[in-house]
This record gives sequence, structure tokens and C-alpha cells, in this order.
Amino acid sequence: MEFKKEGYILASSPHIRRPVSTQKVMLLVTATLVPAIIFSILFFGTKVIALYASAIITCLVTEGVIEYIRKKNIKSLADGSAIVTAILLVMTLPPSVGWQQTAVGSFIAIAVAKELFGGLGQNIFNPALVGRAFLSAAYPVSITTFEAPAKVFKFLPDAVSSATPLAAAKFDKVFTPISNLFFGQVGGCIGETSSLALIFGGIILLLIGVTNYRLVISYLGTVILFATIFWIKDPQTYANPLFHLFSGGLILGAFYMATDLVTSPTTNLGNVIFGVGAGVLVFLIRFFGGYPEGVMYSILFMNACTPLINRFTKNKVFGT
Amino acid sequence: MKLKTFKAGVHPQYNKELASSSSISPIKPFPSKLSIPMSQHLGGPSEPLVKRGDEVAIGQLIGKATGSMGVNIHSPVFGKVSKVLPKPLVGGKMANYIEIDVDVEKTSNFVWQKTNVNISSLSKPEIINRIKEAGIVGLGGATFPTHIKYSVPEGKVIDTLIINGAECEPYLTCDHRLMLEKAEEIIKGIEIVAKLFPLKNIYIGIENNKSDAIAVFNEAIKSSKLNITVSALKTKYPEGAEKMLIKAITKRVVPSLKLPLDIGVVVSNVGTIYSIYEAFYFNKPLIDRVVTISGDLVKKGLNILAPIGTPFENLVSLVELTSPEIYKVVVGGPMMGVAVPTIDYTVTKGTCGILLLSEKISKAFDETPCIKCGSCAKSCPMGLMPFNLAAYTKAKKFDIVKNYNAFDCIECGCCSYVCPAKIDIVGWIRYAKNYIKATQNKNNGK
Repeated sequence: MEFKKEGYILASSPHIRRPVSTQKVMLLVTATLVPAIIFSILFFGTKVIALYASAIITCLVTEGVIEYIRKKNIKSLADGSAIVTAILLVMTLPPSVGWQQTAVGSFIAIAVAKELFGGLGQNIFNPALVGRAFLSAAYPVSITTFEAPAKVFKFLPDAVSSATPLAAAKFDKVFTPISNLFFGQVGGCIGETSSLALIFGGIILLLIGVTNYRLVISYLGTVILFATIFWIKDPQTYANPLFHLFSGGLILGAFYMATDLVTSPTTNLGNVIFGVGAGVLVFLIRFFGGYPEGVMYSILFMNACTPLINRFTKNKVFGT
Repeated sequence: MKLKTFKAGVHPQYNKELASSSSISPIKPFPSKLSIPMSQHLGGPSEPLVKRGDEVAIGQLIGKATGSMGVNIHSPVFGKVSKVLPKPLVGGKMANYIEIDVDVEKTSNFVWQKTNVNISSLSKPEIINRIKEAGIVGLGGATFPTHIKYSVPEGKVIDTLIINGAECEPYLTCDHRLMLEKAEEIIKGIEIVAKLFPLKNIYIGIENNKSDAIAVFNEAIKSSKLNITVSALKTKYPEGAEKMLIKAITKRVVPSLKLPLDIGVVVSNVGTIYSIYEAFYFNKPLIDRVVTISGDLVKKGLNILAPIGTPFENLVSLVELTSPEIYKVVVGGPMMGVAVPTIDYTVTKGTCGILLLSEKISKAFDETPCIKCGSCAKSCPMGLMPFNLAAYTKAKKFDIVKNYNAFDCIECGCCSYVCPAKIDIVGWIRYAKNYIKATQNKNNGK
């Protein structure tokens, strides 16, 4: 057969690449979030669709405009990282927030937390959580106003009140049944309530190897450990460890926020340190702090420590 | 049995079945023209001993070793020198080439006669000298002069010899076929090399995707007086990298920036051992080698015994292609091989394969931002932090790159292979190493 004899592509080795791309990773993360998204719509109504839409559009437009101003290739929008940020941000907001507030949070997440630092891969803090933190400060009332979920699962007992289970436990010593927490039929933020849906998606990510199981286990394990110690000591005052595991944003935070590739450490040891550190912070805030929940701050704080962790947990070089 | 291996590494698609069933066959039709570069090895170029119009005989020395790392080059054919001229080598450097118009009939009729060599009576210097005379280099691809590797400095004791039959690069099957077809000869070659060192252990390391070769050698070692162990290795890239292979088989670790001989180990490729066998039993210098012609564009790959200097075109025209649109031609394996822009190159001692690759499989990607996923760090067999090295190279912080152990990088390419952002990490590290070396040389020269 006659064949091409010149004009071959010149490139340095390796000449074959693993069929994985950033875009595929982001797509996978989004796909595994679908169950949690569906649950969030079932529990809190179709109005949350508007919030997802508001966040996704704002994130994409913000990133596009800033990349254009920075004379970067706008094609990078297709990597999907902005969409993941948008979805995760909405999941951390109470269902009562408006689409305008969501848009403000999304803008801050992309413009301040991501692009100001240099865009994808350069940010120190998880963009979605920065957006959420900004909204907590800007709209302290609406960000702490929760509503009761729809009664999706008839076999579960009624949700006690519209306050979050963590707040009810901390301030009123009312403990929500674990089954409600597990399925997510409780008051709380849009996407964080259903541990079932989040664990399902999160485990798929762990199995594929996108996220590091060491971080998830050390994070959750640390919280469970301390919760167990206090629960054994005084079960009247302190909720049991399963309650702490399935309530609030811990599952969402552990599987999807803390494990964010960009803002978590690189090595396995680094991931364990991050997880334990974040777990201790959640415990301290939930048990001794003024807030009922501490997942957001625990992750943001450990994000700040990540460069330092990376520096001291480098791989051992072969032969040294 | 538990398979031996090392930490980290990657699992690319091997695609060895394309060529692994093709037995080694001499090139047919025999090339009418050879073009033999005077620089085929690590070390200074050889000096041409013939000029235009000279008649050459098969096995005649035509390139003389120069310098401390020099290697002899012999004519693989009978014929007449038509030209001596500089041309580019694979990789872009220039070298003198001796072009020979081949007397095909005379060459085809020639048969190497078996010598009545008595191996047991040979002294160490005689063995080293014969290897040197025959122009033998490491045939795994690095082309390190074998007689220098075997001339261990005073004070170093070699107690372990490892024969590298891992062949961890995808597509390549030349070592696999050689092991299947020439096991006895390879054992005889090992017996020669074993005379050089006070050995306690001799291993043949073979990846377990070549279980037939493992079986053949388990049988073949029985007839040898030497105590040879066949080590079945896990199929993983880069299992055949010297430091990884030594770790997998002996658990010994070559210290950073040191050589295997510092921990008492010598590693040689099976092809090298086979050419040593030929040098002693047939008085035949290294004038040909097995070349795998494969790639995803090839219907059935081939393993051809090709004379040094055979034009790639003669080899590529032997295989049937699934499409004429060749995107990349790679000399060597897809992980560490070198891409060439045209077909106008020839076989050298280090040419283990010629791969014809499609755009689908070997597409050159645009880099996207690093997402700090750590895949490269997890796959790096040397335990480096490749993404840091790449980032610091881009920032031109070469002092930091050096402190981050850039010179321990074996350039296996696992980091670039796994990177989801498609960053050519090993390319950046290579760039930094070259830059640092060049700067040092410049400063030393002042």
C-alpha cells in the first residue's frame, strides 16, 4: 500500500496518553451528583431548579468574561469546572435563598475565589465554599433560614421542625431520627440533606479513583471518633456518632468539597493530614463553637493549610 | 507464584498481540542500499575507515571506536561504499553516514561459520576485548557500550547479574520473540558473561504477559550448569527500567544518582546477551538486530532481523496498513521512543521497533491547567513530584527543579501518560535537565 512518507507529527515521548481529561473528570463528578440533585428537587420543590440555573449561568458567564479579559482561550469553559462549582454552591445554600443571591454567590465563587488566583488549578480555596461563605456574611438571615422538606418518603417520621437537625440538637437537645437524616427528609441546605444520594455518588467517584478515599475516611473517621467519645460520656447532651455523620454538610463536604483536587493535598499522607485536620475542626465547631455546623469552615481552613501540607509530605524519592 | 514488581507505574494498553505471534524472519527482499550512521551509541561518534568507492566485506570494521565511550561499527554486507556524508540521526543530531551499495547475491549466500571456541579457557580481558571488538552495545534502547558496562572499576564487586527480558514497552515484541526462539543461545551468552563476575545470583526477569517465554526459560535453564532463576514480573510499565527491575527482583535500591554496579548488580538486555553469544560462537560482530514493526495502523506486526543501516522504508513496506494516513512514526516504544518527521532514517543498534501510529492513539494534545490531582506523583516510579518539576520549569526556577531531584527522573513518561490536563510533564523535566546541564557546562568552560 502507498503510504504517507513525510509530514509525520513530531512530539516528545510518551506518544500514547491515558484516555482521561480534566473535562471527563468534571463530567464524572457532575454525573455522580445527579442523584443528590434529584433528591434536592424532590425535597425542596422545583424552585431549586431556578437556583441551579442561576448559578450555572452566572458561573459560566463570569468565567467566560474574565477569561476573555485575561486574553485566555474561552474554550476552557468546556472543561466543566465552573459547572461543578455552580452545582456544589447551590447544594450548600438553604432552599429559601433567591436566585439573585445565588447569582451573587456564584459570581464571588468564580471571580474572587477562582479567577483572581489565576483560574483553574491555581485557586487556594474551594470556590463553591468561598461563594457560600460570602453569602453567609452578606445575607446572614436568609442563609440561616431553613424550611421543612416535602414528605417524599411516607414511611419516615415527620421532620420535627424546620430548623436543621444540628441546630435542633445543639440548642434544643432535640435529636432527629437517623433514618430521616440518612434519606435526607430533614431541614437543611439544598443538596446536603440526603446522605444516601451523596454516598452513592461519592463512592462511585472513590471507586473510579477520581477522589482520594484516604481523605474521605480520615475526615469522617475523625468526626465519628470524637462524637463517639462524647456520646459515650454523656448521651443526653451529645448526639450519637451516626447523627453527626449523616447530619449537616459532612457527607457532602467529605465526598465532594474536601476532595476537590485543586485545593486538597497531592500525596496520600497529605490527604490523611487534611482529613484529620478538617475532622478535628468540625468536631470543635459543632461541639464547642457558636455555630451548629462547621464543615464549610473546616474545609476552607484546611485549604489554607494545603500548600504547607504539600511542602512537607513530598513523596520519598527512590534511592534517597 | 507471587509476581515481582516495584511501586507505582502505569498500565497502558500493550497491544503486543499485533506482533507477538510473528516469528523472527530475515529481511526479504534484502535491501540494495544501506546507510550506516557512525553514531549509534551513547558516547562519541566512530571514525569512518572507508571512503567512497571502497569495497567492503561482511563483518569488516568500517567505523573505529574513538574516545573512552567509543564503539566499533562493522559492515553488515558485501558491497561498495557509495557515499560518506552527514545526515540527521533519529532525534535530530547530525552524524556521518556510510552508504553502501549492497552486493545482495554475495551477501545472501554468506553463512557465518560456527567457531570452535572454548569458553571455559577464556580470560576476563579476552572476553571484554571480544565484546569491544564486536561493537556490542545495550540493545534495550539505551545503547550503552557493553564492554564498558562490564569493565567494573576496582573495588566494586558484582554478585548479581540480571538479564532484562521485561520488555515493558507496549507494541514491542523483539525481545519476546528472541526469548522464545533463541533461549539456548541466550543461556550460552549468559555463561560467557557470568565468567566476568563473582556471581551469587543470576536472574532472567520476564513480565508475565509473556508466560510462554517464562515457560521456555524455565525449561532452558535446566540444561545449564549455572544457577539461573527465572523471575516472573508483574506486567506493568516501566518494569524493565533498570532501577525498577533491580528493585523488583532483588529488593535492592540503587541510591540516588548512582549506578547498579554500586550495589553489585549488572543488568543486560536479552538482545545484548544474544549478540554476545554470536560474537563468541560465530565471530560475528553486531551487524544486525531484531526490529519490531507494529503500531495500531498495522494489520499484523512483524519481527524482522534487519541489518544495521536498513532504510525504514524497506521495513515499513513489509507490513500491511489499515490506513495510509500515518500520523506519527515512533522509533522505539510508544512510552520512551522518538518520533521522526519522515521515513528517511535507517536501523541502528538501538532500534528495537518502528511504530506506525494513528492520530486516534497518539494525538498530540494542547496542555490545559494542572488541577493538582496528583496522578503523576502516584504513578512516578522514582517517587518524584512531577507536577512541581513541570511548574517550576515553566517558571524558570531551575535551582528548585534541581533540588526537587529532577536528575533522578528516568524519563519513563508515566507522568505525561496519566496527566488528565495533558501536560507533557516529562517533556518539561527533560527540558530542565538539558538546560541545567548546558548552563553548568557553560560555567565550567569559562
